[in-house]
Amino acid sequence: MEPDRPSPYASDPIISFRAVKKAFGPKVIYEDCTLDIYPGETITIIGGSGTGKSVTLKMLIGLLKADEGSISAFGTEVTTLGESGLLPIRKRVAMLFQGAALFDSLTVAQNIKYPLREHHWGDEKRLDERVAEVLDMVGLPGSQKLKPSELSGGMRKRVGLARAIAVEPDVILYDEPTTGLDPINVRRINGLILSLQKRLGVTSIVVTHDMDACFTFTDRIALLHNRRFSFVGTKDEAHHCDNRYLQEFIAGGRGTLDEDVE
Amino acid sequence: MTFISRTIAPIVDFLAYIGALWKLTWQTFLAFLRPPWEFRPLIYQLDSSGIGSWSITVLTAIFTGMVLALQFASGLRPYGASMYTGKLVSLGIVRELGPVLTALLVGGRVGSGFAAELGSMAVTEQVDAIRALGADPIKKLVAPRVIACMIALPLLTMMADLIGCFGGMIITVQEVGVTPRFFYSQILETLGIVDLLHGLGKSVFFGYMIAITGCFVGLHTTGGTEGVGLSTTKSVVAGAVGILISDFLLTKLFIALYG
Repeated sequence: MEPDRPSPYASDPIISFRAVKKAFGPKVIYEDCTLDIYPGETITIIGGSGTGKSVTLKMLIGLLKADEGSISAFGTEVTTLGESGLLPIRKRVAMLFQGAALFDSLTVAQNIKYPLREHHWGDEKRLDERVAEVLDMVGLPGSQKLKPSELSGGMRKRVGLARAIAVEPDVILYDEPTTGLDPINVRRINGLILSLQKRLGVTSIVVTHDMDACFTFTDRIALLHNRRFSFVGTKDEAHHCDNRYLQEFIAGGRGTLDEDVE
Repeated sequence: MTFISRTIAPIVDFLAYIGALWKLTWQTFLAFLRPPWEFRPLIYQLDSSGIGSWSITVLTAIFTGMVLALQFASGLRPYGASMYTGKLVSLGIVRELGPVLTALLVGGRVGSGFAAELGSMAVTEQVDAIRALGADPIKKLVAPRVIACMIALPLLTMMADLIGCFGGMIITVQEVGVTPRFFYSQILETLGIVDLLHGLGKSVFFGYMIAITGCFVGLHTTGGTEGVGLSTTKSVVAGAVGILISDFLLTKLFIALYG
């Protein structure tokens, strides 16, 4: 955390998960998911593969419905909202999907304009300016006319990020932003997350396996284990915590514990 | 117990499928009527699904007309009635084979395309992305496809009717020895506007059936690329079965109403 940054924890949380339960058929993902997210912080959700880390992000913007419990964002209860009621939340909370989820049939510029049009950002000239602006921010100026099929994995992620930040969200959700990328792109994406955090002052929720990156940019860590967040705390607290699973996770020994998770 | 549950399970699944299809239909028409109206995706779908299907429609229609004429000409010959081939060919094509065969062929081409495209979008989280970016996937993806097919299918069927009758005429003239003018007059004598509307009315429904099945199966795709393959197959089978069952029911309805 930046030394001169005010502590976000002094204010009320902007997002709260309270006793959330979620299951897919017989597979229970969450038994009691409770988590608070504070304005301006970066929190990283870690946990074994297939434990449902992305489900947290998707439940927050209503892409998946919680079975029980309460999820509130900016003072609004999300779980009871329909698709139209979720629009204001989705305008303020943007998501970078794992595979970037760019629309294959549209160009880079059209992809970025998509949310701008939906949220009535302005006329075509204003949209073009905004597209150029966000492409600059992610280091891909002049790539407006390219199709997603012409982009590398790292570039797709960056365009996905440009599309997510285009509507100036308050919160950005990153679903495994560096999975499947080469080390150079991993560093580039992590650098982008860090610089966006500084430039835009957004709240970030990152789901990742990349512990090095996690310690570079995160303020707090939430560990998903045994269908609940078994640890939530700062980086320092994580290092000094006696949670064996967390320590093994940090040390890179998560392979040995995947069976426990199952 | 196992026997009962094994017998009941497919029935429950089928009813759930019909219910979900109706729900999607309702949402699709509501989404289409809700402003803002976007015509560009509709025109794009009309072009790719409708105009893109004219060649297979022509091919199917001309050979159906020809083979029907061959069968009727030889079937009626023992009774000395082969000169009436034109009546049977035109009636068979306009009321039944034109709409049904066009729907089956176009359904195979277009419905599987919808299932594959939407299925790929679903497994790569593009459908979720549409929702996350503040749009409605049903309005963006399903509505233009369903409406385009409901417009394109009757137009393609009309073309199939014309070309099928033309194919029938070529063979009848050659096999039976009637003049084209005689064949044409028989068509006019036999067919009324009700027959034409009977066929076209069914084709509007078939267009809806093809698109809604393809979109529904596509949107519910899970399991990566393997899932996309399964969805494509499923959409063709479900679409064809839907067309054949609804053809019987609609024909029964039209005959009960207009004879």
